[in-house]
Amino acid sequence: MATFGVGSRLGYVDTNPDRSAGLVAAVAAGIPWAVICGGAASELLGFGTVLAIVAGLLTGCLVSAATAFSREDIGSTVPLGALSIVTGLVFLTSVLGPEWVWSLGWEQPASLTAEFVIPIGTLLNAMFAGWAASKAYGGFGARGRHVGAYVLVYLNALSIVAFLFVLVAFTVVRGVPGLLNGAEFGLGVGPATTIELAGFGFTFVWPFSVPFVMNGVALLNDFQGVLPAIVGTIWLVVGAVLFAVPLGIGAAIFLTEYAEQGPFTQAVEIATNGLWSTPSIVFGLFGFAFLIPRFGNSKSLLAGMLTLGFMLLPLVLITSREAMISVPDEYRDASAALGVSKWQTIRSVVLPAALPGVVTGVILGVGRIAGETAPILLTMAGGTFVPGSQTADVIGGFGFVASPPFVTNPELLQATSALPYQLFALITAGVGLGDNVANPDEFRWATALVLLVVVLSFYAVGIATRYYFRRKLSYE
Amino acid sequence: MSEIESTQTQTHQSTASQPSQTTNGESDEQLREAWTDHAFDGDTKLAVDGLDVHYGDDHALKDVSMEIPERSVTALIGPSGCGKSTFLRCLNRMNDRIPSARVDGSVRLDGSELYQEGVDLVELRKRVGMVFQSPNPFPKSIRDNISYGPRKHGDIDTGLIARMIGRSDERQERQLVEQSLRQAALWDEVRDRLDDNALGLSGGQQQRLCIARALATDPEVLLMDEPASALDPIATSKIEELIHELSREYTVVIVTHNMQQAERISDQTAVFLTGGKLVEYGDTEQIFDDPRSQRVDDYISGKFG
Ligand SMILES: Nc1ncnc2c1ncn2[C@@H]1O[C@H](COP(=O)(O)OP(=O)(O)OP(=O)(O)O)[C@@H](O)[C@H]1O
Ligand SMILES: [Mg+2]
Repeated sequence: MATFGVGSRLGYVDTNPDRSAGLVAAVAAGIPWAVICGGAASELLGFGTVLAIVAGLLTGCLVSAATAFSREDIGSTVPLGALSIVTGLVFLTSVLGPEWVWSLGWEQPASLTAEFVIPIGTLLNAMFAGWAASKAYGGFGARGRHVGAYVLVYLNALSIVAFLFVLVAFTVVRGVPGLLNGAEFGLGVGPATTIELAGFGFTFVWPFSVPFVMNGVALLNDFQGVLPAIVGTIWLVVGAVLFAVPLGIGAAIFLTEYAEQGPFTQAVEIATNGLWSTPSIVFGLFGFAFLIPRFGNSKSLLAGMLTLGFMLLPLVLITSREAMISVPDEYRDASAALGVSKWQTIRSVVLPAALPGVVTGVILGVGRIAGETAPILLTMAGGTFVPGSQTADVIGGFGFVASPPFVTNPELLQATSALPYQLFALITAGVGLGDNVANPDEFRWATALVLLVVVLSFYAVGIATRYYFRRKLSYE
Repeated sequence: MSEIESTQTQTHQSTASQPSQTTNGESDEQLREAWTDHAFDGDTKLAVDGLDVHYGDDHALKDVSMEIPERSVTALIGPSGCGKSTFLRCLNRMNDRIPSARVDGSVRLDGSELYQEGVDLVELRKRVGMVFQSPNPFPKSIRDNISYGPRKHGDIDTGLIARMIGRSDERQERQLVEQSLRQAALWDEVRDRLDDNALGLSGGQQQRLCIARALATDPEVLLMDEPASALDPIATSKIEELIHELSREYTVVIVTHNMQQAERISDQTAVFLTGGKLVEYGDTEQIFDDPRSQRVDDYISGKFG
């Protein structure tokens, strides 16, 4: 690559470089050189801290200047090319071998190990080299920069995807053994479900049995599981969404379509933004101090739902409002000119057009609340191990009575667990799990995996909903 | 009307009855009296009196008075920015929706004042429909765009409950959609894709869709702001035919920048000139063949504006 740059400078290759590689390239080339020379000065030549920093800065400035003041083909290839060569040599000649540790010498015993430095160094080098190479490929000049920027942006996006992928893959690999502990597949191995239809009971036997997600914890179980927590998490999210979404959308409609824009709406806006930034433990405390005394003085699913609902509310409000504001006024005018009332316009034109935005907000919010630990700790409890009997049967729990409030549901008032809290409890419980669970580490990772899957499923449902509404609005 | 005015009017009428004496360059007052006293064919549908519109400090319409007869086509012409759209929006109170707009004066529809307390705007806009200057279809299917108005008015019900009790008006809906689209000369182009999103139509098609949408609600008065600005000659002539057709039953007020079009389709023409003034108003033939005002003459013959 550096050769290519020199070749171009000497006229062997046909390119059309600018006069200078530009400020960005100069800074980008200067910083790594400053770091390397600073490090080398202090480690290899034994300079003191101040001297090393000065030496590093000097080199950095020199390289920057060299990059900026030479013609673009030289400036954007040679410093970065040399950087790659130097780091490559450093790694190859084992100046930084696998055993290398750089103790930073702060009060805490912090150190940079080769395990960390080498991959990062390689990645950075690859990025710089890719950038310079793509510039060269584009023949420098405007086109070269365009190609270079494109490659950088592309690499950036790719690294985000890669990071997510690594995270998920890591959890899956560690979690699957625990998840499949005692799992069986095949006809007739699963639990039986009976469906009553018009007096006939159909019994259906699932063709698989995965005890980890089908059991609670009990002494006699062959394999322990986290079913109560899964069900708890799902009901929590459903309850919070049912509570927050109608309220949030209603408030957004009022603020956008009806309220006079002025100090009042601004105050509400600031308050909502503030609420959204409030730490979740504060919401948890609120639920603990305010809701629990009102629901029979014990931790309950309902208290958890409402607490998380309050947490979700501001985000739903903010995003719904943004979405409604961005619905063009032409639609409202068109509807009004047809002699349609304001409320009907909102219902049939504004809301449908705003729905994808609202759904995006709900997705983001659910992602946050589904993983919350602190509020659940304070309002819903549960424990390290939750017996299967604590699985909330919310639908079956509804009962009707003749006196107010007419509907009762003891299940809602019962303490139950949720995945993030159970995970937290499992981790803080440390090693004393041996009696119940053969392999606690597997159990924890499997719980994490299930939590991830549950949250991602909510996410998938949200994306599908949004896709559906978007399709209705657009015209491909 | 005060007595002095009516005497003046009489004097003026006597001069007006002698065409040879009509000179270009009459004063604004004389011109105004000419049209306030002119008897147009048909009963008055809309009577505008002393209408002033301000946008903030910007005086966009200045003291406009005119009467629009029933079952006819009235064309509004004038240079860009002279207040034609503003005037049109006064007739169905769409200006109420612009926060900075202030309207003074009086507009009467069938004799009842629009600018007074207690007027039901929803009811008013059902009676006075509007086609906007820029097409603004809803992000819904073509069919839903057309049936939107009637559905919300409760004239057509294809909802779930209606379908369950067997009272669904799907047949009426289909007929209405077809009829409106045929009238707006769009049917042949979209008959096979009524369920497609209306935003996928071309600009000219959207314009006709908006005409069809306004027709579907069956208003008494139809306000059209340059309804043919994006149409090819064939579609334009179809729309002109439609307007002519409509004028048998409806009152149509149309803004256009196309003089020939105004001359072809309208019964009355009103000429607004820069500054938000209505300069001359009268039967179309008279305006185009023998305008009283020098400025209108210049504008029509293309010397100005
Ligand atoms: N919503 C508004 N807010 C402020 N001023 C406005 C608004 N609408 C129109 N105006 C002003 O009122 C004047 C008349 O505008 P109007 O839209 O009625 O013109 P027009 O005759 O319809 O022009 P065109 O032929 O270009 O459509 C213009 O000076 C314009 O700047
Ligand atoms: Mg206009």
